[in-house]
Amino acid sequence: MTDLLTLVVQQSVNGVYLGCLYVMVALGLTLIYGVLNQINFAHADFVTVGAFTAFFTATRFATKALGMPDTGAYLLSLFAALGAGALLGWLVSAAVFAPLRRSGADELRPLIATIGVSVLLENGQLALFGPIPYQFDSPLGRQTIRMGSIFFSAQSALVVIVSVAAIAALYAFMRFSFMGKALRAVAQDRETAGLMGINENLVIALTIVIASALAGVAGALLGPVVVLTPFTGGSLIVKAFACVIIGGFGNMEGTIIAGLLVGIIEAFTVQYLGSGLIDLVVFAMLLLMLVIRPTGLIAERKEENV
Amino acid sequence: MIAAAPWLLGSAYWRGILVLCAMNVLLALSLNLVMGYTGQLNLGQSAFFGIGAYVSTILIKTYGWNFWLAAGAAVAAAGLVGVALAAFAVRLRGHYLAIASLGFAVITYQVLVNWESMTQGVRGIYGILAPVPDTVALFYLVAGLGLVVYFLLDNLVRSPVGDTLRAIREDEVSAAALGVNAAVWKAFAFGLGAAIAGLAGCFYPGFVGTLVPDAFGIVESFTMMAMVIVGGMGTMIGPVIGAVVLTFLPEVLRDFGELRLMIYGVALTLVVLFMPGGMVQAWASLKNKIA
Repeated sequence: MTDLLTLVVQQSVNGVYLGCLYVMVALGLTLIYGVLNQINFAHADFVTVGAFTAFFTATRFATKALGMPDTGAYLLSLFAALGAGALLGWLVSAAVFAPLRRSGADELRPLIATIGVSVLLENGQLALFGPIPYQFDSPLGRQTIRMGSIFFSAQSALVVIVSVAAIAALYAFMRFSFMGKALRAVAQDRETAGLMGINENLVIALTIVIASALAGVAGALLGPVVVLTPFTGGSLIVKAFACVIIGGFGNMEGTIIAGLLVGIIEAFTVQYLGSGLIDLVVFAMLLLMLVIRPTGLIAERKEENV
Repeated sequence: MIAAAPWLLGSAYWRGILVLCAMNVLLALSLNLVMGYTGQLNLGQSAFFGIGAYVSTILIKTYGWNFWLAAGAAVAAAGLVGVALAAFAVRLRGHYLAIASLGFAVITYQVLVNWESMTQGVRGIYGILAPVPDTVALFYLVAGLGLVVYFLLDNLVRSPVGDTLRAIREDEVSAAALGVNAAVWKAFAFGLGAAIAGLAGCFYPGFVGTLVPDAFGIVESFTMMAMVIVGGMGTMIGPVIGAVVLTFLPEVLRDFGELRLMIYGVALTLVVLFMPGGMVQAWASLKNKIA
């Protein structure tokens, strides 16, 4: 019995830390959807770019050129990945979302255009980095923390700490800062917000930049715990969509709950059914959710797409 | 021109590309019916291509069926699964349908990988023979089927059925108000589109000689979408042009390395941004300017 309990707690811990990563990625998607009613399909590829940026910053630049210690170099690489994500977000916002918004395109054109961006990013990175997986060793991945009979790596503790901090910062920003309030206003009613003197284009660009920066950091955290290839992010996108759909499109709280839920379900699937079936279980959940409750765990006000 | 193509491109390599091109035309036509004419953004078309390929191959290799019988069964299977996916399209629109169909493609891929007793999983099925002895004959066969499908679809979209599908695309609520049963016609479009993709899938394993799940990943859906959109979504000739251009362009540029998918990505984004009607519309407006 205690063995079973230990197992359940251990897998829950694993699930929560996976879930935190999914939340970081899915929150960006849901944030953009909430403000813009658009999907950035390339979002998860920003995760890959973040992971590679962190990899090269930590293993090449910071340790070799600056002579930093391993742990410091890895922490620095988190910021480099954040910057890379933010930059990509700004680029996609300026080059894809803004022109399509000006031309009054329907809701699906930005989705299709960003699918193109996603294919380009994945194969561009394939050309640059090759198909062979990179071994991204985080110095924290080697340290194991033991609490009773539960084990986890310092890396997974860092994942949880950074994502909780990022989500808290995002909430504080949304609730207390002027731009955060402007962002929520644009999400509620873009035209009225514009009439109230809010620069909606700036708010939308900022939203995409914030969301993409989150994806970049998620990449730096994810890189050391998965097989790092140009397609790492791509394999994540459908799972991130699953979190967003299960949580309710545009709903931040729902997405957080759904992300943790997907992480935990994944951990138990590995334990009881085998790792080959993870995607199958998660997407079966996604389709089931779409059939029985398309508005997600927490229902949104708008239902025109359902 | 189609008949002369194998002689204009003499080498075995280019004849292979021709077969691939004919298959891509079939796939682009199949997606265009659903996406272009009925307005349903379906990211799961690769799944039907895969179902066609696997069902026909398994029936031939494991159960010893005749190719044409197996192909018929595979087309029917893909069509039926297409109708099943339409059950989602009846309830979901826009982004939700896009993601549901994407999830469907991933699930199909995972089934192909995991159901090893039937599909051999990632190890793949080897030594698959084409239904005809050489590449040129295979090209004539697939291109001939492409022509037949083209003319059938061309007639279909100009018939009242085509009007019905376009009505659903433009405004589903108004179409319903005029007595259109959107659920039935969406199922029809999804099923027919899936069956055509399944038909293309029947010829793919024999052409390549091997069958692995990776050929039917979601990126295959995106390449079909690129062909439809680059050529001109919602026109008959557009997707055909898109399929031909996007099959040959990467081959012509092969000297610059393996850029096939990068070209697809760039083309998709640029066309959506700068010429949303695709090459067909660009050509029409060019003609207007000159005239």
